[in-house]
Amino acid sequence: MAGQNISAREIITSYDGPKLRIMEVCGTHTHEIFRLGIRKLLPEQIELISGPGCPVCVTQVGFIDEAVMLALEYGATVCTFGDLVRVPGTEMSLAGARAKGARVQVVYSPLDAVTYAAEHPGEQVVFLSVGFETTTPASCLAVEQAAEQGLTNFSLLTANKTMPSAYHALKGSADVFLYPGHVNAITGTALCESLVDEDISGVVTGFTARELLTALAVAIKKSTEGKPFFVNAYPRVVTREGSVEAQALMERLLEPCDAEWRGLGVIPQSGVRLREAYAAYDARKKFQLPEIKGRGNPACRCGDVLQGKCKPSDCKVFGKVCTPQHPIGACMVSNEGACSAYYQYGGDFNA
Amino acid sequence: MRDLAVTLAHGAGGKQTSELIDQVFKAHFANPALTADDAAVLTAPRGKMAMTTDGFIVSPSFFPGGNIGKLSICGTVNDLACMGARPLYLSCAFVIEEGFPMEKLEEIASAMEKTAKEAGVQIVSGDTKVAGKGQVDGVFITTTGVGEILEGVETSGAMAKPGDVVIVTGDVGRHGCTILLAREDFGIEADVTSDCAPLWGTVQDMLEVTKDIHVIRDATRGGVGTVLYEIAGQSGVGVQLDSTAVPVAPEVQGVCRMLGLEPLYLACEGRLVIVTPKEEADKVLEVLRKGKYSGNAAIIGEITAENPGRVIMTTEIGAQTVLPQPGGELLPRIC
Amino acid sequence: MCVGLSAKVVKIEKGTALVDASGAKREVSVSLLKDLEPGDYVMVHAGIAIAKITDEDDSETDLLMEELL
Repeated sequence: MAGQNISAREIITSYDGPKLRIMEVCGTHTHEIFRLGIRKLLPEQIELISGPGCPVCVTQVGFIDEAVMLALEYGATVCTFGDLVRVPGTEMSLAGARAKGARVQVVYSPLDAVTYAAEHPGEQVVFLSVGFETTTPASCLAVEQAAEQGLTNFSLLTANKTMPSAYHALKGSADVFLYPGHVNAITGTALCESLVDEDISGVVTGFTARELLTALAVAIKKSTEGKPFFVNAYPRVVTREGSVEAQALMERLLEPCDAEWRGLGVIPQSGVRLREAYAAYDARKKFQLPEIKGRGNPACRCGDVLQGKCKPSDCKVFGKVCTPQHPIGACMVSNEGACSAYYQYGGDFNA
Repeated sequence: MRDLAVTLAHGAGGKQTSELIDQVFKAHFANPALTADDAAVLTAPRGKMAMTTDGFIVSPSFFPGGNIGKLSICGTVNDLACMGARPLYLSCAFVIEEGFPMEKLEEIASAMEKTAKEAGVQIVSGDTKVAGKGQVDGVFITTTGVGEILEGVETSGAMAKPGDVVIVTGDVGRHGCTILLAREDFGIEADVTSDCAPLWGTVQDMLEVTKDIHVIRDATRGGVGTVLYEIAGQSGVGVQLDSTAVPVAPEVQGVCRMLGLEPLYLACEGRLVIVTPKEEADKVLEVLRKGKYSGNAAIIGEITAENPGRVIMTTEIGAQTVLPQPGGELLPRIC
Repeated sequence: MCVGLSAKVVKIEKGTALVDASGAKREVSVSLLKDLEPGDYVMVHAGIAIAKITDEDDSETDLLMEELL
């Protein structure tokens, strides 16, 4: 076991070719790479860029404002993944709303929000549906379960996004992409494979130390060959077809829509929303929410960070006004956010 | 005739208050120093004295491995023990929610009796208040403790020195994990019990083999990670932690993997972090491993002159990273 | 973006499975997977099993290295 591991590591540490920019698209990759100390192993010529694959980081400010409004003004119970609780909205975060008396429930799964709704028929329960292709099926299943149970007090506030358009938007930001393993588990690898035709190279990457090191070694080795490439380095989970069932489920319930990405702006057809047939489960329609334009802090450069245009430390507020305790931008809130990771793990130390 | 639940009348100072005190508290805490007078009259310790206070508001009040009563004794006894102080006297103040079942209160008092006895400490003074329904959650307990510092012992978070080794007295994160599961918020089940334990015996055993111990800290809220940062800050040193040496029960690890949490930040209630000169480490470890509550004691790192104020961690792949400084509410990470 | 958990299926009932990750157990939806049996390993995300996996272990990555490098 260790033998091969060392060789992956040797390929990484002994690289002495031209400068190579590798972007880990997925926030969990960012987090694990820092946690394992992989950055400290890399030679100077390899630059790791943290991409926009943290759903919390790319969620627009207005979404938090909508959730706060639902909780405080409409008296709804907001069920959410823990990741979103401290993300700042224009006025306040959900933690702030909770301190003002809002009901905010942290759940492990959207299905738990359905269970909560069934157990609390007197409350209107809204699940904050964020995430990419990996997470979206769980929200769809929640809606199906609520429908089966005839619940009228459950709905989704959606901000779900899809990766394909993001890959195109990111083209040129890096020489090689470490593709998100769990998104590919759902979508299959056909899309990422086809990106080779557009000169976009990448490796589907898993999440353990061994998987991350292997993917990096593959990315380096293949890059030296000079041709665009695609490799699935996470075959124990990811297949070419992906999850046909999950794809069908999403197709049944959802339709594409334009979506605002914090920092990247509106990317056409890069999001999904519930189809008209499921309007009763769409919180925006159900509560007739007004259109809300959130305002982020103008000094915050999360947008540039997400596109790999600047490092967190290049942002004026980073580490001074903006810290994990008092985050200004979403990238500092989420444990997977590049700013949070740089702040918590970064800085120089003697090893 | 016994009341089945605590009522506002039990806190009004009249006959029912006396009954509650006699039937529940005195029945369990009886000792010569605990009288009906306004204050306990005590004999002063010989040398230096340590004093500490702590409030307990755990929800739920009962959990696998203990309850708020046991916790309220352990917390204060352990704080004293960390200063090398033999716990002598405790006071305890209860704030009880109207309607709290008498049977449960009795169970809490009984756990306090048992734990105090084990730690060799006397409960010499108490207070009971009853708050209206919804004003507190079940029962809150505040304990204050006084202890006698053993001669020749001097410990402080500011005394860690480069070259010292860092020991933890057992697997980490059990209490935090137990409470997380007991709240049933995430539908997860695991066979985990709180590590909640009175640790004076552990400290005493250790001090019998050497008095040359620089720091003893109990890792409560914020877990071992927080304690390491406190020591690094107070002593102006770095901590080099070996992540693979930190003992974690597989079940705790499983729960943490499920929720994206780090065991080093989960609370313990029966674990000490000990910083001792390298020469003393083997002796300390040997005696700890024979102890009732410290069989899994392990060396997890060392103190360095480099990187003052920071905790640097050797990871499972042998690389170096910074242990992120814990902060804020522990929130599960899913997406 | 997506914290995944590899876990072993303990029992299955009507689209829901009890899974075990080092002794931490939870019910998750398995309605997206076919032909699942107790003893199989799955990758779980946000309360649903998103993929059946060959093993809990990641050692097959080594085979990939051998093939590629």
